[in-house]
Amino acid sequence: MKTAKNNTAAVKASDVRALRMRPVHLRKLAAITEVKGKALFSKNFIIMPIFSIGFTFLMKVVYDRIAEGALDMSAYALSLGVLMNILMEGIYCTAAALAEEKEKNTLRTLMTSSVNGLEFFLGSFIPVLLMCTAVNVLCALIAGVSMDTSQWAAYLAVATACAAISTVIGMIFGIYAKTQVSASTITTPALLVLMMLPMFSGFSEILEQISGFLFTGIVFEAIANINSGLPVIDIQSGVILSAEFILSVILFLALYRKNGFER
Amino acid sequence: MNQHYISIRHLSKKFNKDFVLKDVNAELQKGEILGFLGPSGAGKTTTIKILTGQLLPTSGDAEVLGIPCDRIDERIYEQIGIVTDVSGVYERMSVYDNLKYFARLLNVPLKEIDPILKRIGLYEHRKKPASKLSKGQTQRLILARAILHKPKVLFLDEPTSGLDPSTALEVHKMLMELKAEGMSIFLTTHNMEEATKLCDHVALLNEGVIVEYGTPEEICLKYNKVKKYKVQLTDGTKHFLEQSPQAAEQIAQWMGASRIETIHSCEPTLETVFLEVTGRELQ
Repeated sequence: MKTAKNNTAAVKASDVRALRMRPVHLRKLAAITEVKGKALFSKNFIIMPIFSIGFTFLMKVVYDRIAEGALDMSAYALSLGVLMNILMEGIYCTAAALAEEKEKNTLRTLMTSSVNGLEFFLGSFIPVLLMCTAVNVLCALIAGVSMDTSQWAAYLAVATACAAISTVIGMIFGIYAKTQVSASTITTPALLVLMMLPMFSGFSEILEQISGFLFTGIVFEAIANINSGLPVIDIQSGVILSAEFILSVILFLALYRKNGFER
Repeated sequence: MNQHYISIRHLSKKFNKDFVLKDVNAELQKGEILGFLGPSGAGKTTTIKILTGQLLPTSGDAEVLGIPCDRIDERIYEQIGIVTDVSGVYERMSVYDNLKYFARLLNVPLKEIDPILKRIGLYEHRKKPASKLSKGQTQRLILARAILHKPKVLFLDEPTSGLDPSTALEVHKMLMELKAEGMSIFLTTHNMEEATKLCDHVALLNEGVIVEYGTPEEICLKYNKVKKYKVQLTDGTKHFLEQSPQAAEQIAQWMGASRIETIHSCEPTLETVFLEVTGRELQ
């Protein structure tokens, strides 16, 4: 039995308990993934992938008209669509979906119904990642970027890695967002920075350098490289992507252990 | 031998410098209903949060099904059900799908959903989105979800708060049925009638301190210092008599003349006891 002194120390560490990470039960994971996946098709969230696909199509049409066949702008249209998709779906949708669970008081119910933190995390992460990947494929087909099999594989690998990073970042924002409105408010500045830096990297050397250290900048550059027939990413970019994924997971775990999913 | 499903010993909880629970002791045995009765801010919800592992106590111990409350994890959640005033439902999902989701999480066969829906009177609404349910129906759905896996202990935080009287009666009936089936129930309420009707033991909680603990009858009799009787005569007049030889003689006279319409003892209710002990009203 714990002593009063021990309990006091525990309370000081964290008043609200962050549930411990436990092994994943596939039955529970499948149930959460299915429900979370269906939620992504609700009107609150489905607008994001539709917007990304529509934006890619629009950019493709606009740039084709501007370039009048003199320049292939399909890769640029795809870059914008992919950036929009992995940011809005990966960060915003993930954060808003977590915030919605808090807002509707279902998160606490779920966490006191034998679901552990890891099961909830993976159940929230997997559907977003799958949706992001599907939309990235659709965007590539719509943009009409010509790719061989290895380029497709590299494109999907880089885009999926970036979607994974942005989804973990979305979960981090979700810890802090109490409502869907606050999720929108706190993610917007990050979305703008992560999107604008690669978009405007061509106008400034400093922006280009900074962009090279961002996962959004790396996917932006990777798509341009595919179109130019260059190697999709270099070793440095691969290391940066891996490091950013690991860092985002560590940051998430640290915040989760301190706060649980509800700050 | 008595089986303690909940055991609370010298439990205290402090937020910043303020104690919201002070040296609370209580026990819940198998098949019993234990009520924590008190006004808002008395510490009832904090007690439930500690017992269900959502908050850590500042000092003292509490065990649920033999597990210390600071070690409660998802495995214990498979053996307990929780209904709080902030329990939510998935509004976009149908009534049936809400229960199906939790049935999958709690490893309950899906064939058990329909009988529960019939039991709580929501079978006809099973395809309706949860967002279209009334407050009473939503509360019944939350209760159904909490008992879906036949938990050993059910925690109910103000389960009938804000419900209309007929729905509250239905909830009471269901709780008595669950108790008869052997489920142990930890109930918090500020409704003394509810506590008197349902609970085997009650703890009167005021500002984090249990001021009285026992069966509702024991507590009421303890404060029945002035034994009074209310007599209504056939002519409609009402008389309040304190226990005395003179009162007995008077009652015997009325009885002999067949003038008594009704006669009741006037022992205090939990509400009057609470008022006497704390100077506060429950509501």
